Amino acid sequence: MNDFFMLIGFSEILLVIFMQWEVYVAKIIKTFSISSYAVSVFLLYLSFVQHSYLVLILAILTAVIRGFFIPNFILKRLARDPWRERESKPIMGTASSIIISLVIAIFAYVLYEATMLNFIGVLSGAIPIALVFQGAFLVISRRNAFIQLVGYMVMENAAFLFTGYLFPDLPFSVEAGTVLDLIGVVMISGIIMRMRENSPKKSDDIDELRG
Amino acid sequence: MLALSVIQLVYVLALAPLIAGIISTIEERIESKRGPSIFQPYYDLLKLFRKENVIPAKSSPIFRIGPYVTFSLYMLLTLVLPIITAFPLQFGPVVDFIGGGLTFGAAATFKKLMALDSRSNYAHLGTSRSASIGALSEPITVLIFIMLGVISKTNNPYIINNVLQTSMTWYLSLVHWFVAAAFFMVLLVETGKLPIESHSTAELGAIDQSMEIEYSGSDLAFFKWGGYAKQFLLMSVFLNVYTVPFWVPMKMNFDSVFIYMGIQLLKLVGLAIVFAFFEESVSKFRLLKNFDYIAVAFSMAFLSFLVFSISG
Amino acid sequence: MDLVYILPMAASLIGALLCLVRIEKFEEIVSIIVSVCTSIFAVLILFSPNVSNYFLFLDGISKIMILTISIVYVMTVIFSTTFFKYIDEPLFQKRFYYLLLNLFAFSMFFSVSVNNFGLVWVGIEATTVTSALLVATENDESSIEATWRYIIIVSSGLVISFIANILIYSATGTLDISKLLSMNSFSALLPLGSMMALVGYGTKAGIFPMHTWLPDVHGKAPAPVSAIFSGVLLPVALYAMIRVIQFTPIEYVKTFALILGFLTVIIAASLMAVQTNYKRLFAYSTMENMGMALIGISLGGYALLGVIILILSHAFAKSSTFFLSGNLLSRYKTLKIDEVKGVAGRMPITAYTLLFSSMAITGMPPFGTFFGEIMIIFVLLSAVHIGWVLLLMAFLALAFISMNFKVGKMLFSDSEGDNMERKRVGTIIPVIDTILSLAIVFFIPLISKVIK
Repeated sequence: MNDFFMLIGFSEILLVIFMQWEVYVAKIIKTFSISSYAVSVFLLYLSFVQHSYLVLILAILTAVIRGFFIPNFILKRLARDPWRERESKPIMGTASSIIISLVIAIFAYVLYEATMLNFIGVLSGAIPIALVFQGAFLVISRRNAFIQLVGYMVMENAAFLFTGYLFPDLPFSVEAGTVLDLIGVVMISGIIMRMRENSPKKSDDIDELRG
Repeated sequence: MLALSVIQLVYVLALAPLIAGIISTIEERIESKRGPSIFQPYYDLLKLFRKENVIPAKSSPIFRIGPYVTFSLYMLLTLVLPIITAFPLQFGPVVDFIGGGLTFGAAATFKKLMALDSRSNYAHLGTSRSASIGALSEPITVLIFIMLGVISKTNNPYIINNVLQTSMTWYLSLVHWFVAAAFFMVLLVETGKLPIESHSTAELGAIDQSMEIEYSGSDLAFFKWGGYAKQFLLMSVFLNVYTVPFWVPMKMNFDSVFIYMGIQLLKLVGLAIVFAFFEESVSKFRLLKNFDYIAVAFSMAFLSFLVFSISG
Repeated sequence: MDLVYILPMAASLIGALLCLVRIEKFEEIVSIIVSVCTSIFAVLILFSPNVSNYFLFLDGISKIMILTISIVYVMTVIFSTTFFKYIDEPLFQKRFYYLLLNLFAFSMFFSVSVNNFGLVWVGIEATTVTSALLVATENDESSIEATWRYIIIVSSGLVISFIANILIYSATGTLDISKLLSMNSFSALLPLGSMMALVGYGTKAGIFPMHTWLPDVHGKAPAPVSAIFSGVLLPVALYAMIRVIQFTPIEYVKTFALILGFLTVIIAASLMAVQTNYKRLFAYSTMENMGMALIGISLGGYALLGVIILILSHAFAKSSTFFLSGNLLSRYKTLKIDEVKGVAGRMPITAYTLLFSSMAITGMPPFGTFFGEIMIIFVLLSAVHIGWVLLLMAFLALAFISMNFKVGKMLFSDSEGDNMERKRVGTIIPVIDTILSLAIVFFIPLISKVIK
């Protein structure tokens, strides 16, 4: 059980590092889709171990919504040539952001060991915490709205993994509500991003958002 | 023991060009061309040995002795690495894994000196690129060795092989596979395979290719042969220490060693096929992108640390 | 189950659905009727007993939150009916605006009345979803950029509070607010969870360090939307923080909240001094008030009453200032303080209402905010060294001076031009709001009785 979780967790961390590496939006979104499927595979396994229907439902919800629906929805929102859409000027070079992402993962592990380990008692709980930080870093280190959204969803996925593994008896209504909210956020973001591309560009406008 | 050492030396030097030939033939086949014979590298070497040497007027003796020094360093490595046996041969105790890494490093450094000494701008270009990439990939190699030391509590490649052969837990552990993945990425860098280095000498992307640009005749032949031997050695280490440590004879037994020599060749051909498919499916990175690649390799190596501490 | 407690939610939801009917002006009428109904229900709830069952948990604080939301909701809807025409190229048709506004109100009612802390999180996240498009109503580049920042920063911040919820659950074994408030034993994970929850919900409430979306959104959203954001959305996030502090009987978590509140006040007050954009000025003033409220929340007891009074009267006064900022924008077509001149001569009612409401939001007596802040500071005096209190008061004074000086400059500078005052509703609503924020003073005994 723990081994399987480690496998899934570290493949998630690797996938996030891959996202830091990549600049093409479509590839990042597909990577996110893979990482969501990985989460749902873990939940599926969990539901067989615990004989829990609710976890099974969660696994299916994850696969359908986070793995299939949301990535496809975002891909449809991309411009006419989705493969061409990319982050041309990241705030930080990709090589250094990969290393920073790695350092963040280690930092999260140290943080987890220092604060939560005594109460949770499972060392591998550090993985989702690391993923949350890495997702946040993905949001910070990029300017492209789609990639920022993916970063946010990585954080969400990590929180989901954390719940699924350590506290599978969390009330179902809360988790279902989370999924619904995620759909809402993604739909709204899709609309906003479409508008962002179509809106007339006036460079002095953005200056109003300073200070 | 000594006899086996000699056999291993001959085995490596004789088969190294063959593996290079197999890789390029498979690549051509994938591209739907007929391609050269798998023995083409042998023909190349033979032809080069018959040609005269041309030496730049301003070069120093380093230029002359360079190919022989690197070639002999690779021969030394052949004697100490686990290639057809998983027990130390005559010269096995001479160096451990770190020592082996340093010997590889020494050969690489000498190569750079030779290239600098050739006083050609193209060679200098290749040297500076190779040095900047090497400076970043060396720490990864060190990290990998440290992690292998963690697994086997030693720096001896033979013992690492034995541990992985016998202990299924270690073989299947994430630590081991992260290390193996990182080594695979470094292997592609060190053997000059595609995402990093293409086969052309186009100056925009060439790294190792441009370092030998002033060599000719038998010097070039030794240079190339050394390169094939290096590729053969690294592939063997990757197979025997990292990914497929099985079937390597752990006890002194001539029969099993001879049988294993065939198996080792099959393993190498298998890896050659993997390399060929890999080379055909990726395109070359721009030079600046190489550092991203190395950063990912570094993350792999470091994550194995994290895995090790999380799995307690 | 008493139906009266879910009536505000039901009414706003029904209102939202009716907005889909394609009849001219129908959505405005429906929204006004529905919002007035929610206010009536809110008053009914105020005089009903507390309730705590499987789904709902309402005590005095929740009831007052519902009341505040519903009144600001009414004002916003009525003001929107006259303001929508000033938006040049709205993002969507008018009925979608009212649809989203009603849904937004629904999600806020939901957040303050459910009994499950996880569902409170769901509700607060839902307010982001329903309100994001409202911010982008003006449909130009900067408002869309502001919306995007709002979505991504607030959602990311709320992920922190989601993990905090999980930790709280693991520490106490329950997420029901009623059980959390009466629990005796918990594991030592609770303080960590509570601190993370404070940071996470603080994102939504504009608390330092994740406040950066707030001035952008308030600066670029249409006036009624800014008003409802500032007036009640941020207090709804504060409501979650109130609950966190209530069920965490640990001293250093409260100190942590106190420090966050303190820093928020300091940063907001300093930034107010350098603002050149009046809507952003009001936005930072909101931050300053939220910081004060958080200080009060961390102190608890008597200060909590101060917080409730502060939230209530700030909600009315701040929505009034934002409505008035909409009036200014619609006439002067600029957000720069320097370019708005002589408001007192050209728009007298707007000018004097703005004068009083800006006094109200900076805590001038006799407005309710003054009494709220004075209660908080009074309790603070007994909790920390007097030097800190003086420092805090210095920054409050800085906020007061920069706000009133800048507003005064806009109002009383010389300018020639005709009278261009807005008619009827556009001026009456802010006046009512300002009067309400003053009238709160007379209801302080009632409020303290409700909270008890």
